[in-house]
Amino acid sequence: MQISKSSESTDQTSALELDNVSLSYDGGPNVLTNLNLSLPSGSFHFLTGASGAGKTSLLKLLYLAQRPTQGSVRLFGTNVTAAARSALPAIRRKVGVVFQDFRLLDHLSAFDNVALPLRVANAPEPEIKSNVSELLSWVGLDEYMDAKPETLSGGQKQRVAIARAVVNRPRLILADEPTGNVDDTIAMRLMQLFMEMNKLGSNVIIATHNEHLVAKFGFNRLALENHRLSELPPLAANGAQA
Amino acid sequence: MISLRTDLPLGGDSASRFIPWLMAIMVFLGILSVSGVAVFDTILSGWSRAVTGTLTVQIPALSAINEDSANQARTDRAVAALESLPSVRSVKVLKNTEIEALLAPWLGDAAAIRDLPIPVLIDVSLSDESTAIIEGLRTAVTTVVPDAIIDDHRRWFEHLIDLTEGFRLLTIGIALIVTTALALTVVYATRASMAEFREVISVLHLIGARDIYVATQFAKRTLSAALKGSAGGLLAGVFTQIAIGLLASNVESGFLPDIDLGFGFWISLPLVSLAAAVLAMITAYITVLSTLRSMV
Repeated sequence: MQISKSSESTDQTSALELDNVSLSYDGGPNVLTNLNLSLPSGSFHFLTGASGAGKTSLLKLLYLAQRPTQGSVRLFGTNVTAAARSALPAIRRKVGVVFQDFRLLDHLSAFDNVALPLRVANAPEPEIKSNVSELLSWVGLDEYMDAKPETLSGGQKQRVAIARAVVNRPRLILADEPTGNVDDTIAMRLMQLFMEMNKLGSNVIIATHNEHLVAKFGFNRLALENHRLSELPPLAANGAQA
Repeated sequence: MISLRTDLPLGGDSASRFIPWLMAIMVFLGILSVSGVAVFDTILSGWSRAVTGTLTVQIPALSAINEDSANQARTDRAVAALESLPSVRSVKVLKNTEIEALLAPWLGDAAAIRDLPIPVLIDVSLSDESTAIIEGLRTAVTTVVPDAIIDDHRRWFEHLIDLTEGFRLLTIGIALIVTTALALTVVYATRASMAEFREVISVLHLIGARDIYVATQFAKRTLSAALKGSAGGLLAGVFTQIAIGLLASNVESGFLPDIDLGFGFWISLPLVSLAAAVLAMITAYITVLSTLRSMV
């Protein structure tokens, strides 16, 4: 992995490239300034930074909820900043997102929430049933498949949100504080799920404040500070930089 | 069969509750408009059939009492003049009983009518009703009976046509207004529904749902709600038609023409209802698509 300084990356294996990306809302000050980044396929990163540093804004750019004010974002070889609007849904299907506030649909069961990405992709129902059931079992919610989100605890909702993000085996998984509402045992299990997905080829970026988690798993870090992005080496278990 | 499975909680939103009522009212009004057009068309074509190629010659009764022989002589001269014309197909002098039957709704029983100086009426059937032919006929008749009146029907019929055509255009205008109001209200209701489910739509959008996917879900739910409402409007419209038909049948014949709207008309009513539901569905679909285009 490398921080790219070039405005024209030619790295065909990059899953994600940012080229001089800046973002501001409604003409206000920049929340992200001149970000340059190139992540190879199969990478796993923690995204760290203080509250208000722009982690969520960066994730919004990556899951295509926002277009940059300046610069370009390239996902899986496609310049999504310049791409036609009609081309974006296909790219979004390659990105799994765990929102900090889960954003589950309250009128749907846990099963149907997890099934959504497959349904919008017109996957056959037998495949949906098999994949969703298996995944909900994996995250320990096999007894809650028919439960509506309002009847689930915060941790259970988070697991449903994670299952929804990974169910269609996306090429890029973005998770905003995915272990914030679960106990250590579940957190480890969820991290294991992310690592399994990573082994299967998904790029993973986990935004977190949890330094213990960052140190325990020792993946590279993307640090946002003063609206700028820098790459840092893994954090050692004792909190020192490795 | 329409699958009602949806990722949007549209069953309980305000638009889903509102659209059936809207549709019922609009379809009811639409059916009344269609009925109005059909009735005016039927009346016009009936009148047209009745008067095309015919005219009536009136031979006024002489005011003098006991002038029956003189009246008969005037009638005979007029008939002879008419029969001598090549464009006249047939000539029929109406019997007194026929004239009495025509006047009975207005003037009462035949005994009272017989004391009045009722003109003789001659029905004339023409093979050519051009203005020149009718003028020639007028000259021929008034030459032998100077005070004869030639009523070629066209003058009053043209006024009636203008009047009924005006009513017909009015009902078509009402139908267009109803249709426009329906479309605009569905647009408003769909936008309200989209605002209500903004968060759900946003999530679907972010997990890769195409605009068509979201629009199709709104369209399906709108069609479902619209079909329920339009069925209600259809029933109300049909019952109203039947009730009006029964009331009209009680009116003395002669005041109103016989109006048989026919099988095609009754078949058209469910089609109006279905068309309104489809219009609502298409409107919802287009509204959602155009609104979603404002998203990233």
